[in-house]
Amino acid sequence: METMPKVWRSKSKPHLFCPGCGHGVALKQLGFAIDELKISDKTTIGIDIGCSLLAWNFFDFDTVQTHHGRVTPTMVGYKMMKPKRTVLAYMGDGGAYAIGLQSLIHAAFRNDPITAIVVHNDLYAMTGGQMAPTTMPGEVTSTTPTGKPENFGPGFFGPELIANVANPKAYIARASISKPLLVKQYLKNALLNQQKNNSFSMVEIMSICPTNWKMNAKQCFEKLSQMDKYYPGGEIKKGNENAEN
Amino acid sequence: MQRIRIIFSGEGGQGIQTISKVFVTAASKQGFEVSYLPSFGVEQRGTPSVAFITIDNKEIRHPKFDKADIVVILGKRAIKTVENYLDPNTELYFDSSTISKGDLPIFVSKIHGVPATKYAKEKFALRSFNLIVLGVIAKAIGIKEELIWEEIFNFLSKKFKKKEDENLAHEAFLFGLEIVPETEDFTRAIFKAKHQAILVKGHGKHGTILPDKCKGCGICIHKCPVGALSLGEDLGVFSTPIPQVDLEKCIGCQNCKNFCPDGAITMEMDASA
Amino acid sequence: MAIEFLSGNEAAVKGILAAGADVMYGYPITPSTEILEGWIRNTLVDKSKKYLQTEDETAAGFATIGAILAGAKAFTATAGPGHVLMQDPLSMAENLRLPFVCIAMQRGGPSTGTVNYSQQEVNLAAFGGNGDGMRIVYSASNVQDMYDLTIKAFNTAWKYRFPTFVIGDGHIAKSKMKANISNPIQPILAKPLLKEDTNNPTFFRNCYSSELVFGDVLMKNIEDWNEARPKIEEYEEYKIKGAKEIIVAHGSVAQASMDACDILQNKRKRIGVFRPITVHPFPQHLKKLAKRTKKIYVIESSLNQLSRIVKYELSGCKTQIVEIAKPAVSFTGAEIARKILVS
Repeated sequence: METMPKVWRSKSKPHLFCPGCGHGVALKQLGFAIDELKISDKTTIGIDIGCSLLAWNFFDFDTVQTHHGRVTPTMVGYKMMKPKRTVLAYMGDGGAYAIGLQSLIHAAFRNDPITAIVVHNDLYAMTGGQMAPTTMPGEVTSTTPTGKPENFGPGFFGPELIANVANPKAYIARASISKPLLVKQYLKNALLNQQKNNSFSMVEIMSICPTNWKMNAKQCFEKLSQMDKYYPGGEIKKGNENAEN
Repeated sequence: MQRIRIIFSGEGGQGIQTISKVFVTAASKQGFEVSYLPSFGVEQRGTPSVAFITIDNKEIRHPKFDKADIVVILGKRAIKTVENYLDPNTELYFDSSTISKGDLPIFVSKIHGVPATKYAKEKFALRSFNLIVLGVIAKAIGIKEELIWEEIFNFLSKKFKKKEDENLAHEAFLFGLEIVPETEDFTRAIFKAKHQAILVKGHGKHGTILPDKCKGCGICIHKCPVGALSLGEDLGVFSTPIPQVDLEKCIGCQNCKNFCPDGAITMEMDASA
Repeated sequence: MAIEFLSGNEAAVKGILAAGADVMYGYPITPSTEILEGWIRNTLVDKSKKYLQTEDETAAGFATIGAILAGAKAFTATAGPGHVLMQDPLSMAENLRLPFVCIAMQRGGPSTGTVNYSQQEVNLAAFGGNGDGMRIVYSASNVQDMYDLTIKAFNTAWKYRFPTFVIGDGHIAKSKMKANISNPIQPILAKPLLKEDTNNPTFFRNCYSSELVFGDVLMKNIEDWNEARPKIEEYEEYKIKGAKEIIVAHGSVAQASMDACDILQNKRKRIGVFRPITVHPFPQHLKKLAKRTKKIYVIESSLNQLSRIVKYELSGCKTQIVEIAKPAVSFTGAEIARKILVS
């Protein structure tokens, strides 16, 4: 009969995200994953700037809101001193692939045992809908008013890029909130890869933004299915242990 | 004209900044000195939205003020946000069909009720309730009807999908101009958000809906594979309709639970006896 | 006269266009994002104007430098945490004497802090890099200033070759007021800094093998700064004549202070406002005024960032200085009047 994951902090609900925000779905599946692995007492989360910061009091465990693009190195530093904790770095596609890209790449390159969760909603939502690296070609945003042109690059394939330099033991996957149970499964795999394989893990979660897309629920999921086609889901690197299974 | 300081306030998503921009642009075109300062935060919806407006014949140096002459409150949660700007002389306008007089600070005596949500729902479209209020305030300040309508059209014409939408908006605004606000017998606040959990049971299924968590996004309705969910009459935390369930149709698949971004709903099969 | 009803960000874009800017590099950040968006809308109309939304503010700043080296009137606009990141390119520009124009809309720091309002970026704008602060900082007090000072900033930057800021705040950026957007200032022309001449190539560097060599470079910059300073300094006075007390305030707090002055005058207080338009270099004129003033109130929305400058500039004066600070919180005129009456 429970509507929410146990680890959600009920006092902070309704949360601060907009009606219909995909962050709520991603954070719910993260909550269920933590519930099922029974690790809420050893989890610490860092959150980036952008809409992800609205999760600053989301869970019943320690939460640190950092600066833009800097959640990854902050949590890398924390994990070094607290190797037994399960450490999460939660960020948006801007924080991950624009301002914070070099830190994310180096965390994967060094195989820092943290789990990076990247919520991919196609634009910068908190500032009102500007182009993100993930914005697909031709898409209209407030900084690409006639559609994203070729000279601003195509869509940005973050997990694929990072997989190129990541340690063989890393776990890297892309899921979509159009399949919430798969989001949960990949998050569990990622958390286990951090805990049992002492390795880097990263899950990109394709998400929706009703407010800045100016769309209702139905339209949002239609657009999400186009994004799911452009950015195919799946496990890109399975980590050593998982790969052997 | 003496300096008039006005605050429009309500829920994010109620169009507070839109009616404020309409109002100040029209006032500016009428030749007044105008300043307008929107409250702005991180851009999410669901936090109270406030606009500070000053109108004068003389130069305005600074857009902020301590006390307002007129305060408009369209969402209950905004009361706390604007309380500091009220004093005993403030003329307070509120939506009496969604807010009870008892919710308002007791030291304010000049109270005007406008049951805008009720009128909008009965006569026009729910979303045009803010235009009714805009009509009331335009009349109270003396901003010209045609200037306001021109700006309503400028700001909203993209949202008018057909001529009928435009006509309804225009009628709602004109209706607002004619309203005499309530000062004694206030409409009952019938459109109020529910707080208690709704527990449903039957046809071998049971479930929970939490109105104080539901933001009315409609994802559960869209994701229900059998069409068992639809928008009901009850209102949620943002005064938007919450889902109701047809237990006969429900198959207990838990899609609603897995998709709801707010943890506001679950439906499941009864444990087999 | 061309009067328009504009937000501070919209007025800034009009000023940028009037100044003849060519290109903007930026990264979205509240409350300055509308400058980026507004500039982009103009690039659709005038195809000779360019823009790039970079991956972060550091990149925006260095890309601005690149365009300036090519002789373009390039600029950026930022705020808060973006302004912090902008300090690396600004340090480069400061020492290379590049005409870098930066519009910074102050907000409460650090990180997201508040996206709304503060005056906490004065230190950052004036002294934020690893240099000595050879930067010109105009502080806009209202929507009109955003237009006027933005045009001026480009001219000052290209004339004196120091990085030049226009700082506003979230309230100025987002509030709408009437502004006169006719342009009485003629924009000056930009020139390429790299000459593309193989016989006489240009070498720009911020690396020196000895402290003595570097010291000479810095001394030359400081000499230029001191020479330019009196020509750059600007201020506004309000009811200063005959005033026994003076409020020193910049930006939108100065406007509230003028309201406070009117209120206090009704209470028979002889008080005026001195508003530094350039908070750096700070107008030396205040020192003259201070000598015949009993008391100076420094009022600001930061913990004494302005008053530290004021105290330094007035060193040697015996005038009493009262600091009224509300970091990252705005003032109204009535509130300032109340605070002065009890202090």
